[in-house]
Amino acid sequence: MQAFLNTVLVGLVTGSVYALASTGIVLTYKTSGILNFGYGALALFTTFVYWSLTITFHWPVWLAAALVVLIVAPAIGFLLDGTLFRKIQGQPIVIGVIATVGLTVLIQGIVILIWGGQTRGDVPSLFPRAPIRLPGGLHIGVDQAALFGLAVVLALGLSAMFRYARIGVAFRAVVDNRPVAGLMAINTRYVSGLAWAIATAFAAVTGILLTPRLLLDPVLLTPFIIAQVLGAAIVGYLRSLPLAWAGGLFLGVSQALLLKYAGSGSGIGDLRSAMPFLMITVLVLLAPKTLRVAGLGSSFIVKTREVTGHASPQTRAVIGAAFFGLLALGPAIARGSISWRLSLTVGMAYAIVFLSLVILTGYSGQVSLGHTAFMGIAAFTTGHLVADQHLNVWLALVFGALAAVPAGALIGIIAVRVHGLFLALMTLAFAFMAQDMFFKQPSVSGSNGGIPVPRPPGTASTNAFFYLVLAVLLVCCLIAINLRTGPTGRVLAALRDSEMASRSLGINVVKYKVVIFSISALIAGLGGVLASMVTEQATSLSFIPFLSLAYLTVTVVGGVFHVGGALAAGMLWGLYPKLFGHIDIMIRLENIFFGLGATLALARNPEGLFGEFRWIGAQLRSLRDREPRRVAAPLPVAGGQE
Amino acid sequence: MKPLLHLRGVEARYGHFVALQNVSLIVPEGAVVALLGPNGAGKTTLLRTVSGMMSLSRGEIIFDGAPIQRLPDYAIARRGLAHIPEGRGIFPSLTVRENLLMAGYGAPNGDGALGRVYELFPVLAQRREQAAGTLSGGEQQMLSLARGVITRPKLLAVDELSLGLAPILVAQLFDTVARIRDSGTSILLVEQYVRHALRLADIVVILHKGRVAFIGEPGELAHDDSLVESYLGGKSSARFGVASEDAVALPMKATASSQRSKKRRVSRG
Amino acid sequence: MSELRAESVTVRFGGLTALSDVSIDVPSGGFVGLIGPNGAGKTTLFNVISGFILPWRGRITFDGQDVTRASASKRAAMRIGRTFQKLELFGRMTVLENMLVAAEAGAKRLGLMTDLLHLPGRHRAERRSAGIAEQVIADLNLGWARDRRTADLPVGSARIVELGRALCTNPALLLLDEPSSGLDSGETEGFGALLRRINEERGVGILLVEHDMDLVMDVCKKIHVLDFGRVIATGTTKEIAANAAVRAAYLGEEADEAPASPARR
Repeated sequence: MQAFLNTVLVGLVTGSVYALASTGIVLTYKTSGILNFGYGALALFTTFVYWSLTITFHWPVWLAAALVVLIVAPAIGFLLDGTLFRKIQGQPIVIGVIATVGLTVLIQGIVILIWGGQTRGDVPSLFPRAPIRLPGGLHIGVDQAALFGLAVVLALGLSAMFRYARIGVAFRAVVDNRPVAGLMAINTRYVSGLAWAIATAFAAVTGILLTPRLLLDPVLLTPFIIAQVLGAAIVGYLRSLPLAWAGGLFLGVSQALLLKYAGSGSGIGDLRSAMPFLMITVLVLLAPKTLRVAGLGSSFIVKTREVTGHASPQTRAVIGAAFFGLLALGPAIARGSISWRLSLTVGMAYAIVFLSLVILTGYSGQVSLGHTAFMGIAAFTTGHLVADQHLNVWLALVFGALAAVPAGALIGIIAVRVHGLFLALMTLAFAFMAQDMFFKQPSVSGSNGGIPVPRPPGTASTNAFFYLVLAVLLVCCLIAINLRTGPTGRVLAALRDSEMASRSLGINVVKYKVVIFSISALIAGLGGVLASMVTEQATSLSFIPFLSLAYLTVTVVGGVFHVGGALAAGMLWGLYPKLFGHIDIMIRLENIFFGLGATLALARNPEGLFGEFRWIGAQLRSLRDREPRRVAAPLPVAGGQE
Repeated sequence: MKPLLHLRGVEARYGHFVALQNVSLIVPEGAVVALLGPNGAGKTTLLRTVSGMMSLSRGEIIFDGAPIQRLPDYAIARRGLAHIPEGRGIFPSLTVRENLLMAGYGAPNGDGALGRVYELFPVLAQRREQAAGTLSGGEQQMLSLARGVITRPKLLAVDELSLGLAPILVAQLFDTVARIRDSGTSILLVEQYVRHALRLADIVVILHKGRVAFIGEPGELAHDDSLVESYLGGKSSARFGVASEDAVALPMKATASSQRSKKRRVSRG
Repeated sequence: MSELRAESVTVRFGGLTALSDVSIDVPSGGFVGLIGPNGAGKTTLFNVISGFILPWRGRITFDGQDVTRASASKRAAMRIGRTFQKLELFGRMTVLENMLVAAEAGAKRLGLMTDLLHLPGRHRAERRSAGIAEQVIADLNLGWARDRRTADLPVGSARIVELGRALCTNPALLLLDEPSSGLDSGETEGFGALLRRINEERGVGILLVEHDMDLVMDVCKKIHVLDFGRVIATGTTKEIAANAAVRAAYLGEEADEAPASPARR
């Protein structure tokens, strides 16, 4: 009993930090409608600043903490609001997701550039660790007690501000209707900047309080914080501070209990890591309808520069044929370099994955942050069919990809009930649960953390496999183009723009959502199997859920509206290490490059890299079209100089 | 009459599209100016440029003796220019009281001001702790009107007060606007229901394709059929309520019945 | 025959009764108006009829069949079409594409494989729906806007596109929710003529919610008046115009004033 109570106590302390952390994310969600996936990365960066000040420059801990929390973090928040968040506010949620994921990638890149990739275990604690004895034989560290107290005070203070203070009401007014808030003499820039400043300060507090007991890891800390914060905040459906706070405590206690009483060998995988995502799944499915469909504006309508009008079908066919023709010559051109040919193969395999996102997000306006799950299901199924059932690899490849379809259909059915941001969260939770509860299990990914995924017979050589992937990519592209130009594609676009109108015309929403998620899952599964075949194995680390976010980001950088965007993204993904491999700094800047591409470029050009090509094409066309008119126009100067 | 608002050669654009072109007009102190014209004439754009929601590409706007065309929206609001935008720009998740509190943010308006507004709009007093999003369309429009006048602005710019409202509510709202005018606030009114606007207006401005097509008194307009024909649409007589003899023309006297319907609504809620 | 009957429909949101015991009917090919103050429940009734809201009690029959529990898309397939008070066009798509979606939705389903693999059946189906779409575009004089994105159209034209889109599904009954809202006087006048043409030439029954009384009185043959979720009057335009209760609740005149005296400004 005493041990149980002590576990609960420890859980409450951890939970109070989660609660505190969730406060920051709820604050900015409420004031801007943007769910900040970059929150964990902000905590990471600010904590590293704190670490530098205390360890490298030997500042006193309290001074360092005060500087970071009160000055550095708010300044970053204000800056980000002005340069990024304010620009994407009111845009479809996909934009917010991608921009803040891009921010995560960017900040992680900066952290690794400045501080290197090592894990730091020596982050100094603000409070002494001396134990306090409590009645009943319980004990707790001074740091833990202080932490709990601090969390309570901060949370109550912020809640009261929202409820009663004028500035708190102004926050909510800006959330409700930003342009009108301006008319009401509210300085909206100041209000939203303040919200981001406070939220970033909370992120810093979270990092500084958590890392002395955890580790300061430049890669793992970010997803860990995001997971806990989302799990806690979902209890209040991202809007209620007190409920998010309760969610944080519940999460902390349940994880402590799971750690103590349900070891990892219980056959249900890593339940403790999956806990926040179980909470998301259950709560979102149970959410009242007004919340579930709140993201109805999830359609990917973009207000900034957009190239209207297309090149003629002939021109497009010629460009496509030229691209694939050039690709087909790839092995001949790169005859001397196996690594070049492999990189091209990887690029094409991922282009297939990115194509599945173009179909889903660009064509249909649906969001998925869980595509690694489809890829993993397909790859592991293929591997096991070959290893355990001794199935022909060709058949195993087909069945593996098909195995992703039921999962896609399931998400499609959920997508009928849940829209927008909450759907995005559900799919992310789905990927995490697939990872924590299945892919990590030895029975799935093997006792060595990986299982073989051999190439089909006859394609074992680098060149043969290259042409296999090329052929699959070509077929997938053709299907995608047929989908876009045909009746089914029109229905999907209609659903993207107005679901209500679609239903009033007699369109069966359930059917089409299931269809589109199934097709997307199938193609993602194909891409996942082929990508595994490049290295001829699938490991538990091949399908880390956070990669789903990276894939969506890269697809947007490439251009999420067009097949050509997926191809550009795939080439970017596969060839980046080859193109810049000999320049050390460029490799270290890779994350920064993609992060910047996604965040800043998005505000200017939502059509991505492929959009730039289209824009150039449009310029060329307008030049050509203007030519005859210019000749026809009479010159103002009389005389026959012509 | 001293000019309160003065537009000189204002031009505004959406990208390449010129929405307002060389627009000049004056709103004198204490006057009601009605801004009329067909859809797409630039009426809403004009209000947006005045209140700072949109920047102008050319020209100047002088309000209360000082140029305001470079000021941000909140600064213009603090100088006493209240803009009630098209489509009831309320804050749906805030309560009625909080909505009123947000009006003139930064300016002191204590309970005295709230009390005065509740007197003018009794419905709102009944619903002060209710989320504004749950109000009916008419009540929301009342709220946006109330929010506009709580700070006692010098100028109230109202966009399409009647949009999507039943005739009886429109009549009530215009009675309120008349009372606001009587309290000394100048009014710049954009309205689709020409008849209502003309009843109230001292000056009429007609916009057409982003240019000023007519400035004058309502009387001139009512007798000039060609103007009406070309700028305000064909079947104007019914809308003006001038010549129609059949019982369909909508009468304006609403006080008694509106009181009744208010009572009913309250007892039901 | 495609008669619509709503019988004793009651709808509750939480504790609030939005519609109570409402019965209305639209005869086959009829032109019926539905008027009443804001919040009277007109749009709610539309949503019940078109299948977006399930009534708490009551029955909807169309064409002799009970459709009370049928889904919105099922009802659309039974040829009930509608427009929306707040425009619901497919904004990123062109006018033609908007019409095509509707025409295809009204046609027999095309197999997914036929579509994705571009088999010959797809071409046939596309030609058929293109015929319907082009016909409606020509009928409504929308040729000039055919390849424009609907998000870029002025409100007046957008309302007509929405009407045309509903027509492409070949409806037997059209529910129009404040179709003239946002139009100026000139546009409204043309709109009334257009509605009458659809009703008379195509034989489409119309149920019209509208605040513009000139338009309602001009085109409707019968009118239902809703107030506080109840039907307070039903009758011809003349009867409704003379009805004291209606004038008090909606038109805004004292009930005891002589109905024949038009007020002037």
